[in-house]
Amino acid sequence: MSDDEHHFESSESGASKTYPQQAGNIRKGGHIVIKGRPCKVVEVSTSKTGKHGHAKCHFVAIDIFNAKKLEDIVPSSHNCDVPHVNRVDYQLIDISEDGFVSLLTDSGGTKDDLKLPTDDALAAQMRSGFEEGKDVVVSVMSSMGEEQICAVKEVGGGK
Amino acid sequence: MCSSSVSEFSPSTSSAMGLPREFHENCRKSLEQNFLKTFYQWAKDAALSVTNKIIASHSSVPEVKVCNATLRLMYQILNWEFRYSKGGGTRASINVFSDGIRVDNALARKTECVIVQPGASWCDVLLSSSHVGWLINLYSSVRQKFDLEGYWLDCPVAVSARKLIVQLCSLAGEIFPSNNAQMREQHLLLLLSGVLPWIDPPDVISKEIEEGKSGSEMIDGCRALLSIGTVTTPVVFDQLLRSLRPFGTLTLLSMLMGEVVKVLMANSTDEETWSYEARDILLDTWTTLLASMDGSGGNAWLPPEGMHAAASLFSLIVESELKVASASATTEDDADCLASVSAMDERLGSYALIARAAVDATIPFLAKLFSDRVARLHQGRGTVDPTETLEEVYSLLLIIGHVLADEGEGETALVPDAVQSHFVDFVEANNHPVVVLSSSIIKFAEQCLDAEMRSSIFSPRLMEAVIWFLARWSFTYLMLVEDCNLGSNQLQSLPSRACLFTFFNEHNQGKFVLDIIVRISLTSLMSFPGEKDLQELTCFQLLHALVRRRNICFHLLSLDSWRNLANAFANDKSLFLLNSVSQRSLAQTLVLSAYGMQSSDASNQYVKDLMAHMTSSLVDLTNNSDLKNLAQQPDIIMLVSCVLERLRGAASATEPRTQRAVYEMGLSVMNPVLRLLEVYKHESAVIYLLLKFVVDWVDGQLSYLEAHETAVVINFCMSLLQIYSSHNIGKISLSLSSTLLNEAKTEKYKDLRALLQLLSHLCSKDMVDFSSDSIETQSTNISQVVYFGLHIITPLITLELLKYPKLCFDYFSLISHMLEVYPETLAQLNNDAFSHVLTTVDFGLHQQDVDIVTMCLRALKALASYHYKEKNAGNLGLGSHAAGHTDPNGVFHEGILSRFLRTLLHFLLFEDYSTDLVSTAADALFPLILCEPNLYQGLGNELIEKQANPNFKTRLANALQVLTTSNQLSSSLDRLNYQRFRKNLNNFLVEVRGFLKTR
Repeated sequence: MSDDEHHFESSESGASKTYPQQAGNIRKGGHIVIKGRPCKVVEVSTSKTGKHGHAKCHFVAIDIFNAKKLEDIVPSSHNCDVPHVNRVDYQLIDISEDGFVSLLTDSGGTKDDLKLPTDDALAAQMRSGFEEGKDVVVSVMSSMGEEQICAVKEVGGGK
Repeated sequence: MCSSSVSEFSPSTSSAMGLPREFHENCRKSLEQNFLKTFYQWAKDAALSVTNKIIASHSSVPEVKVCNATLRLMYQILNWEFRYSKGGGTRASINVFSDGIRVDNALARKTECVIVQPGASWCDVLLSSSHVGWLINLYSSVRQKFDLEGYWLDCPVAVSARKLIVQLCSLAGEIFPSNNAQMREQHLLLLLSGVLPWIDPPDVISKEIEEGKSGSEMIDGCRALLSIGTVTTPVVFDQLLRSLRPFGTLTLLSMLMGEVVKVLMANSTDEETWSYEARDILLDTWTTLLASMDGSGGNAWLPPEGMHAAASLFSLIVESELKVASASATTEDDADCLASVSAMDERLGSYALIARAAVDATIPFLAKLFSDRVARLHQGRGTVDPTETLEEVYSLLLIIGHVLADEGEGETALVPDAVQSHFVDFVEANNHPVVVLSSSIIKFAEQCLDAEMRSSIFSPRLMEAVIWFLARWSFTYLMLVEDCNLGSNQLQSLPSRACLFTFFNEHNQGKFVLDIIVRISLTSLMSFPGEKDLQELTCFQLLHALVRRRNICFHLLSLDSWRNLANAFANDKSLFLLNSVSQRSLAQTLVLSAYGMQSSDASNQYVKDLMAHMTSSLVDLTNNSDLKNLAQQPDIIMLVSCVLERLRGAASATEPRTQRAVYEMGLSVMNPVLRLLEVYKHESAVIYLLLKFVVDWVDGQLSYLEAHETAVVINFCMSLLQIYSSHNIGKISLSLSSTLLNEAKTEKYKDLRALLQLLSHLCSKDMVDFSSDSIETQSTNISQVVYFGLHIITPLITLELLKYPKLCFDYFSLISHMLEVYPETLAQLNNDAFSHVLTTVDFGLHQQDVDIVTMCLRALKALASYHYKEKNAGNLGLGSHAAGHTDPNGVFHEGILSRFLRTLLHFLLFEDYSTDLVSTAADALFPLILCEPNLYQGLGNELIEKQANPNFKTRLANALQVLTTSNQLSSSLDRLNYQRFRKNLNNFLVEVRGFLKTR
């Protein structure tokens, strides 16, 4: 549902949020844009176009937001788009009834436009940490106009 | 019936019946010594009695079944692992520690060939009673009779008869009286004459098989040749056939293989056919025969006829390889080059042996083929599609590389003996066939420097072969150091040899060729963007091999081309596009080449100039006020990764001469590294590079550092550990996809491994220290640091993670080292950390890996002996950890030492392990017993009680008694006592494991 909105945004501003990089240099664990989506590469294999042709890279990658698997084949001397993936840590201030969270930014303001993650373990961890009054720090990953909470850590305090 | 009893009595195939191992061993021994031969005799008699009937009758009779069964039994008996008849039967003791795993001393080859070695006592049955003659007669007369019925070759009795014949071919050992070589030859000759109709004449036979006859007989014939080849020398092998045919066995072998190769060429399908199998077996036969000759100093030549046979076979082989190459040129090749090269390696290695057996003919032949193909490339340039010829040149380069040079992995490659000892007529270097061939290839390779030629001829794949060849060739021929690459044999004085060696040395063409090679390397790095395999090959195989040789470094540094390479590395953007491992290797190579500078100062300056650009770029980046945002940009991530890889490469190239420069390099990026560790906490790939750089740098530097420098490094490592753990403890990451989750786990595993290595390296400062002042002066206590580190990372290590073998190894080597050197600090660890460490040790004891178990045992020994010594000195030792405690629920938990005593005893008595472990286990068990004498008594009694058999009961009681009292064992932990106890434990285990361990 909210996925579609983000998608729309990303196609608008996506271009400036990526950088070109030689395909041969994108490694397993790196990021890549496939079909307009920011992905993390889980497998790279190289092959040749005919025995005496040039090398090409075969990427298998996973969308960093919706975990869908995507594939692409690019000549290894060509450029690929690499998404700018940013991760920012915020302190959790509140979890509202409707599942939105309130986060404290570095500048002292709040950021209220994110929902609890869909992953149960992570959401539970956030809730329990929050309810016990611990200091909970969440990492928010953003790329190509999309945002998602991707990690949580308790830094003690509370009780 | 006999057949099943043979398999039952052989320990490795016996069924589990819950009897002690000792019992099995005794059975085996008595069977081998008393019954096997009799069984064989019976089988033989039974077979003899039905022979006439089978030969006489015209259709299948029940006797055929009997005959088949007896043949199979004889085959099985000969497969018995004869032990007690060898070497006068001195090996009377039983291997009680593990199930006997058969040690095959046959070389690792594709086709199995087990040498049959029954003792001398079998002579009468197998040799003197015309047993072989009977068998061959039986087979050939029946074969004749059923000649028209093709199915017969595959029916059971024929198969088992052939199997037995092949097996008899590999008869060896004491069965032949040592003073009677003739007898052995007679035996082989008899067999060969029986086998001959299966394989001779080769062309007729292969034609018959192609027309539908079964190939099994011919393949068994090849196996027989392999067996004979295994037990004889080439000369004897060749001689065997002379009394039966006008040519030698080698010629037959060559003809036979030639036929097989022809058949392979004719139908180049991927199907597994008989010809593949036959080719592999025959190739193994050649390898077996020629490998024994290759190492004998080049004096053993084949007889001329054999050489001729080898030469003609080799040209057939090359022809077929080239045909395969051009046929496959247009097919898509998915496997990457390195894999396919190594897959072909083995086969090409065997071909090379054949070629070297007749170098006089084969090297000029190869030179001609090569120049032919190159000429064809030039003629058709721009007009004809060169792909097929390219693939042929590719294959030729690989073949020539194998013929001219050995791999020389990790050691100095010698010029092959055959190449050294032949070509005696050539005193003029320019005419020497090897020089001619090498020069023509180098000249061809040089053409890749021309952009136009490059685009039309030098495909990435061809370049890979060129680089591979140059690496292999230069390692063997370029700028040889006299007496080093030449080996020392009596060939030294040959003038032809001298001219081969001086031609490519530093006073002659060597420098010129070196320059070409460096320029070709730079081209392959710069002008083939994105060709990862090619670049890795260039960095790892070619350049790296060059700088490993000191005398070459001196010349490299004086070359303009090398300077260009270094310049491009430091400044050129296009080299930043190389694959990361290539970056690292290139940095390492360039730093290593600094050895070639005149003085140590100059070497240091060279390294400094080389790396200054990288370090300053890191420093600039981290000083940027907007680092946090900047750092997340993909291009910056890429730059940082690149620089880190290069720094790591340089760090791993630390040598005494350049140590200063590398130290300063690391020092200048310390703060940037910590900053980046903070900034990139979410970018695990970068974190890993950071850690690896620090690991390699510390490893290279630590032993050279003075105390104050060490303190700096150690403080740096501490901050590194703290920052890392603050980011990683208690963190839960979300991942919707399980693949990504697994990735994250693997990344973490790699990080941890790097940290463990870092700690181990820090430990080593106490061991290896080249600095002038002692470490104590600065009061840096390494053990404290490492323990602190351990505290930080043990929570991150889980038993789950220890299932990764490499991590497991690193972890336990660190633990055992720690416990051996600083046991007292373990006692100071808090309860959680302490019990965590010990849980992992317990886990490690139950691993399969011998090394890991050894390390755990050493850790245990250290722990127990520390406790014992401290106790005796009136100190606490391990205190409450050892004493055991009662928890709030009133349940008594026994101390850790008691727990380990229990585990270790159980392990020693009831589990399978290698004999190598016994003495280490003894070292651990001894102090444990001394620490917990009461528990030990109790356990001993328990064991004795459990034995139902009164005989075993007393044996066990005695053994336990002897274990702790014999050899004047006393209760002090000194070397002498450890030794005594090792001996005692060994005897004890030999005595009791036989009946305690059941199966």
